[in-house]
Amino acid sequence: MVNYATAAIDKTSVLRGLVSTKRVPLGSEVYNRLLETLYDEAAALDERRFDDWVAYLEQDLSYTAPLRLTRNGPNKDRDVVRTMKHFDENYGSILMRTGRLAKSAWAEDPPSRTRRFVTNVRVAESETAGEYEVVSYLYVERSRLDNPDNETISAERRDIWRLVDGAYKLASREIIVDQSTLGMSNFAIFL
Amino acid sequence: MLHNAGLTLSDGTTLDDLINRDMNEVSLRVMNDKELYELEMERVFARTWLLLGHESEIPKAGDYVMRDMAEDNVIVSRDRSGEIHVMLNVCPHRGMKVCTAEAGNAHAHRCIYHGWAFRADGSFIGAPIEKEQMHGNKRSKDELGLKKARVHLYGGLIFATWNKDLSFEDYLGDAKFYLDQLFCRTDNGLEMLGPPQRFVLPCNWKIPGEQSGSDGFHTLTLHRSLMEGGIMGGTAESIYDTAPGMYGVDLSVPQGHTLRCLEAAQTFKMFADVSFEGKSTEERLHLLPPPGITKELIPQLFKNLSEDQVKQLANIPPQVGGMFPNILIAFIFAPRTDGGASGALSLHTYVPKGPDKVEFVNFIFAEKDAPEDVKRDMLQNAIWSTGTSGTIEQDDADTWPQIMRNSRGHMSKTVTLKYQALHGHERPEGWVGGGDLYPGFTKDDTQWAWWMAYYNLMAEA
Repeated sequence: MVNYATAAIDKTSVLRGLVSTKRVPLGSEVYNRLLETLYDEAAALDERRFDDWVAYLEQDLSYTAPLRLTRNGPNKDRDVVRTMKHFDENYGSILMRTGRLAKSAWAEDPPSRTRRFVTNVRVAESETAGEYEVVSYLYVERSRLDNPDNETISAERRDIWRLVDGAYKLASREIIVDQSTLGMSNFAIFL
Repeated sequence: MLHNAGLTLSDGTTLDDLINRDMNEVSLRVMNDKELYELEMERVFARTWLLLGHESEIPKAGDYVMRDMAEDNVIVSRDRSGEIHVMLNVCPHRGMKVCTAEAGNAHAHRCIYHGWAFRADGSFIGAPIEKEQMHGNKRSKDELGLKKARVHLYGGLIFATWNKDLSFEDYLGDAKFYLDQLFCRTDNGLEMLGPPQRFVLPCNWKIPGEQSGSDGFHTLTLHRSLMEGGIMGGTAESIYDTAPGMYGVDLSVPQGHTLRCLEAAQTFKMFADVSFEGKSTEERLHLLPPPGITKELIPQLFKNLSEDQVKQLANIPPQVGGMFPNILIAFIFAPRTDGGASGALSLHTYVPKGPDKVEFVNFIFAEKDAPEDVKRDMLQNAIWSTGTSGTIEQDDADTWPQIMRNSRGHMSKTVTLKYQALHGHERPEGWVGGGDLYPGFTKDDTQWAWWMAYYNLMAEA
């Protein structure tokens, strides 16, 4: 639980990657279906089918992107800052954002052309039955207007996917970007 | 007053050619000019006060954060006595960064290159192998400290300057009456809710800089989605008739600080159908507390501000604006569908990183005495509307680089930016605060005042 009582920096933590040790092996049925879901989800976002993307989201969704901070010495690995975020979303705020994209959101009108590359997928069973921890690496190439130089972002995503009526739904996603100062002009795209 | 200023670029272009004070026009060339940029570093950024952070980021002795004063990297640290220091993060030995982390706690900063060490107040401790005196014998230890900037705390905000003469009071001028209402209104003041969001945009710092001179007009068009979302009242269809949020009192001071004050009664009408008529200051504050203030904090306003200041907060609070040269203020209402706290408090600095790059630094606040759930809501409100992913500022971040790109064209850069929709100074009846006031529909007056502050600094050799 994040403590909002202070801006001081010792609230940083190291947590990333898988927490559960009950691994779901690569190539298993569950692994394959989750991987397929990640690919389908990336395609929905790249093709700007936001209604299709929202259909992957659970109503109790938590969707956050903490800050990264350059640290040294004994704190050098405590570089994920959860007091401040780039995204701090719930299901309602995601609907607000996708709804906006359908109207006068000049940041994405004309839209960016994006490719989301999802790799290094690791899966484990969470403590709740039917829920899986899915950790993936994300690399996004974003082509904006007629600029020949793409903007890019790399991140780790720590997800919880939940099996609902035979399909996997996203219950939680934490996007741990690698840059402390982002080289991307805005996050008008989802990660 | 209208004499040719002491600035001529190598091709003979003068400051008066670039900023036409008779026509209220600015050449687009200023948005991408290397020579001008170098002069700005000296005449603007080394001369004014610059915002670096907030003391709540470094509460304990030894706490530090790394920040930038334009392109100069600095350490902002708190020493054993609690005093805050700002100093160049440049080792006087060989120029390496003395501190390599963005934040942390250290009572001494030891350069990793040759080990020269410095206290949290910047003073030189020594070089390794004391008996060999590796700092030489030509300069005393007193001369070998990190170069220090002057520091001033205002409402806990950490400002610093390289200017030896400019007092902070003179820098604020008449803006203090209004800014106190935002930064100095509660017993324990503001608190930064976490380290700043930072991202880099391919544009000159003056593009966001002049916009933060209270460009109210662009809200209606660039931020049209606010109207569509119903956040400003009315609908997308009615915005050009009703122009919600466009009326109020804009103000500027000669130092280049500007604010937009919006009538609470108008704002309130957007949320609820209750009249402000005949209500006392206190009743009005309870009906619609200013952004970031909860009902429990209202008594503190009366304690920390003058009666006139509280009255303004209740009736026509300052909400957006800027402090010269590169600070944006957004202390805004942010209605939530879940009925949560309706405020977002953000400050940005637009830190120059070359003529064609700017770092957008987004500081997010709440009142320290606000309840935890309110802080949580306010953090979310600010993330949703400002900074990296904010739905308002996404649009700005995509627009500014396109202006920048245009400023490179041989013909395009001769185009002038027009600041000719001017209201002129007019003091509304009963208005107490100082500065130049522009009541009514938001116009170009405040942004022109920003350019005049820029002109005056750049003209002074």
